[in-house]
Amino acid sequence: MESALSDRLAQSGFAANARARSVPVAMKIVVAGGFAVGKTTFVGAISEIDPLRTEAEMTVEGLGVDNVGAVEGKTGTTVAMDFGRITIGPDMVLYLFGTPGQDRFWFMWDELARGSIGGVVLVDTRRLEDCFPAVDYFEALGVPFVVACNLFDGVATHHPREVREALRVPANVPVVLCDARRKSHVQETLILLVEGALRRAQSRQGR
Amino acid sequence: MVDDSRAHEPRRTPRIVRPYVLTQGRTKAPDATFALEAQVRSLITSSTMARTTTPEARRIVDLCHEPLSVAEVAARLLLPVGVARVLVGDLVAANAVTVDVGAQDAANDVALLERLLDGIRAL
Repeated sequence: MESALSDRLAQSGFAANARARSVPVAMKIVVAGGFAVGKTTFVGAISEIDPLRTEAEMTVEGLGVDNVGAVEGKTGTTVAMDFGRITIGPDMVLYLFGTPGQDRFWFMWDELARGSIGGVVLVDTRRLEDCFPAVDYFEALGVPFVVACNLFDGVATHHPREVREALRVPANVPVVLCDARRKSHVQETLILLVEGALRRAQSRQGR
Repeated sequence: MVDDSRAHEPRRTPRIVRPYVLTQGRTKAPDATFALEAQVRSLITSSTMARTTTPEARRIVDLCHEPLSVAEVAARLLLPVGVARVLVGDLVAANAVTVDVGAQDAANDVALLERLLDGIRAL
């Protein structure tokens, strides 16, 4: 019934107004990187709420194993994700989701990436290899992403150029320094990401 | 812009019921698998709900008078996302809440991305 109503609204050109009145459009950005690289700090620096933690359980589906007992007995693994929210306006809200620190929870990454605008890969340049799975993931998925080298203690240990060379990311992937504690740095990183996403969307539209 | 007045620190009250007992063991929502960011909005007030309604269902209806994402519902109720999805799905089936699945292809939507970019710049 609800969908019949929205169909009618769409036909009468009222859909946009109806949406603006009721529910904001939700946008999503994924914040990825290795364990303890500062993902929650990054999210918290710009979120209007203290980062919330939500948990997902490794379900039968997630394990790819036909074993209902995994849910019944449920000693299963729990994956925690921290996320924040930014109200862009009355009709739009942006969510920043941190990926679980452990790479083995790929099923959760797919869920997070689905419908997202793109990703921020946070890097600790002292443990560069920790970010490889995240870079591989976004590259394989073909979504826009930005590599942000977290300035622990506000100090750059490596130049972004060195990081770019080490990671061999394509030229259209920005590599920036970012103090994850500072809102302005986080904001600048998100701007770079959305600019990249916008350019890509525009070029696709032009095709 | 961290606005402390809007920060939601979940209550750390011990739960005495195992999460999936709340869903009678179901791990899937009846129809769709809602995205984490999908917006839940109440269509009724909890006072009009049947007396047999679970406290969790009432809380969801109370929380979602202002639209709230599925992830926020889960976090605020201290429930795993899978459980929250099932409960929200039940409430949708009961016409108590509606779930807006959001922009289906936000990554390719120039107008939405332009608005988002302006919004982030203005933070």
